[in-house]
Amino acid sequence: MKWLKSAMQQGIWPWLCAGCVALSLLMLGALLALLLTRGLGHFWPSALDEVTLQNGDVVAGEAVRDLPLPNRAGSERLYFTGNRDVDDARWRWVPVDTIKQQTRPAELLRLKRRTWGDFIGYLEAVEVGGERFSGHDAWEQVQQALPLPAPQRARFQLILRTPQGDTLRQPLSTVLRIEAPNAMHVGQKLKAWGSDVWQFLSQGPRAANTDGGVWPAIFGTMLMVILMSVIVTPFGVLAAIYLNEIAHQGPLTRLVRIGVRNLAGVPSIVYGVFGLGVFVYGIGGSLDAWFFDDALPSPTFGTGGLLWASLTLALLTLPVVIVATEEGLARIPDAQREGAVALGATRFEMLKRIVLPMATPAMLTGVILAVARAAGEVAPLMLVGVARLAPQMPLDGEFPYLHLERKFMHLGYHLFDTAFHGEDVQAAIPLVYATALLLVLIVLVLNLTAILLRHHLRRQRGSEC
Amino acid sequence: MTRARLFPQPLRHLQDRIATGIITAGGIGVLLAILGIGVFLVWEAAPLLLHSGTDSLAMLSPLAWGTLKAALMALLFALPLALGAAAYTAFFMSARLRSRIKPTLEMMEAIPGVVIGFIAGMLLAPWVERHLASTLMVIVWLPLSAGLAGLVWHLASRRWQRRLPLSWAALWLIPWLMAMFILALWLTPLVEQTFWDGDLRQYLHVAFGLDYVTRNALIVGLAMGFAVIPSVYSLAEDALNEVPRPLMEGAQALGASRWQAVVKVALAAAGPGLFSAVMIGAGRAVGETMIVLMASSNAALLSASPFEGMRTMAAAIAIELPEATAGGTTYRMLVLAALLLFLFTFLVNTLAELVRQRLRRRYQHLGNTS
Repeated sequence: MKWLKSAMQQGIWPWLCAGCVALSLLMLGALLALLLTRGLGHFWPSALDEVTLQNGDVVAGEAVRDLPLPNRAGSERLYFTGNRDVDDARWRWVPVDTIKQQTRPAELLRLKRRTWGDFIGYLEAVEVGGERFSGHDAWEQVQQALPLPAPQRARFQLILRTPQGDTLRQPLSTVLRIEAPNAMHVGQKLKAWGSDVWQFLSQGPRAANTDGGVWPAIFGTMLMVILMSVIVTPFGVLAAIYLNEIAHQGPLTRLVRIGVRNLAGVPSIVYGVFGLGVFVYGIGGSLDAWFFDDALPSPTFGTGGLLWASLTLALLTLPVVIVATEEGLARIPDAQREGAVALGATRFEMLKRIVLPMATPAMLTGVILAVARAAGEVAPLMLVGVARLAPQMPLDGEFPYLHLERKFMHLGYHLFDTAFHGEDVQAAIPLVYATALLLVLIVLVLNLTAILLRHHLRRQRGSEC
Repeated sequence: MTRARLFPQPLRHLQDRIATGIITAGGIGVLLAILGIGVFLVWEAAPLLLHSGTDSLAMLSPLAWGTLKAALMALLFALPLALGAAAYTAFFMSARLRSRIKPTLEMMEAIPGVVIGFIAGMLLAPWVERHLASTLMVIVWLPLSAGLAGLVWHLASRRWQRRLPLSWAALWLIPWLMAMFILALWLTPLVEQTFWDGDLRQYLHVAFGLDYVTRNALIVGLAMGFAVIPSVYSLAEDALNEVPRPLMEGAQALGASRWQAVVKVALAAAGPGLFSAVMIGAGRAVGETMIVLMASSNAALLSASPFEGMRTMAAAIAIELPEATAGGTTYRMLVLAALLLFLFTFLVNTLAELVRQRLRRRYQHLGNTS
């Protein structure tokens, strides 16, 4: 026991503390790794299995996960089987010990369709006009026809066979993509993965958010954030200059400064309540009564919208910009200001020519941090104008081009809504992971930019700014 | 002189006057606008308080209880981790590693709450429901295993001690903790069989009458704790790092070990700073909306069980306010909830800021005398 005593004396406490750091790093790493693998892995064309059960049933699909059975030993496996139009279900749980035979037929196909979601099964034949191709010819015809524009594809009819033996006709014009993942080699899979990722970034959601992409949400988030920074930058800088350069530095100013600092810690939902009460019901309601009374009782500005969301988030991020700019201003030595005034500059000229250029990096950092905070914020937006599915983009070719009163889609809210209020959550989850990864990447990149920018500019201009 | 002729003095001074006026007006306007949030909340909530008085407070009590419960669970998980990590980073970690690790952990703060809430509600909650015993084992075992690593290190030969120094322990403990995590999972069925008749949830139900809900306070605590760690860690580390070094050196010169110097001198000196860090963490935990919304069952209960859900004030606002009619009782009650949140965080943050300013003056004083 002597060694135990000496160990206690030298202390295992520092090791416990080191364990805390290690554990925090581990959790952070696990979270990022989880998002990366789940978010990017979903787009990888995974192999399709065809299993024959002991009772004669045939199930074909993608094995998603295994879970232990609740009542007895063994486990059951979840298959994504698609074909909702045929048997009204997309998922099937199969007890693993009832599987008699499992194969991976190379000709098993997966079709991405405009309606009804995915189809998993075999290609029986293709009809073009009156001609009928089957077997290998059919596959070649389809490969040639897929890149054609939609009107020309309308001539093609696919005759498909489900693994259970039912046949159905599918016009080629309703098919987005056909792949045979079991027959693809790595290069083809990589290409399919790349095009899937691109589709995720560039297209709108399909099939009740379980398929397709998040482009409207990315666009909405970006537009809202840009509007917000246009509002927050001048006002934040103005307030910071006033506080630091013009206001009399007394106890009142110090109190105001502490107040502004603390507003950064006020929960975002409180800003949401303020935005709803003042912007939407107060100002928006009055605007409706004055200018849009012919549209009443359906509100124009009296409901949540892009403008109110941007204003609310601008208010939310004002303290961030003010604090960052003030820090930059405070770091400028007084000698610079005194020198400018001694050479005959007025206060405005001194501010414009000397102080503001020197404080630019701090201002930029503040704005980027504000943008990063706004991009990840969801709670206030739920009150002031985000929509689960916006029928119209807030920016389009119709006069006045930028529709400030429209609702918009937001990445964070899209994530929340799809994961918790979707129809088929099981099918939507992989896309939600991808959305989460995208959101985290955007926010992290913005934060990193702020840090690097500050670092770089500080080194370039010396330590005073 | 040419310049003076091109721009006559009166014009320049007028320009200056106008610009100063604009900046002053704009600055004061912006400051009033942000400070006006409080005024608005009081204005909207006042009729409710004046007319129904205590009734509305009684309606809010389950929400207030839920808020407190969620914040307490989060702090219970986050405070030991954040403060321990801060102490290690400030006093034991090598300077090179510190310049990398600290920004990384601070970056954790940027991860949006909606992402953490999603992972907690969709992945962690079902897993914990199926593996409750494993989760509790891991929570108990992982910290112990870090201490165990310390014991093993003291037993190891000098060569190994040099190769795996304490100042880099934060990195090389990661694989150790992963191994211990797997060990804990592997041992759990054995422990569960021996102590809890093979099913912990059944045991809890029979022995203590505790029901289990999938999305419960434990999950909220873990998820929100994860979100609170970085802010507490960052502030606490700053406070500890600013402790004047002569104080620590003096203690060690008088024969204290490094850890004794940390506990007896540094923690005492930086106490107010640590307090303000904890306060900021509490403020964040109380106001966090999305994590609670997604990781708890959102049922307004008055239950102290860590295995049941809760509805916090922030979550209630997010759920109910969009449906409430403007000016109605529900609307005013939710505004009152927002006012309470505002007042709480504002007071807590002001307190923390004042404490921090006093601490800074004290350090300057200490630094001068030593």
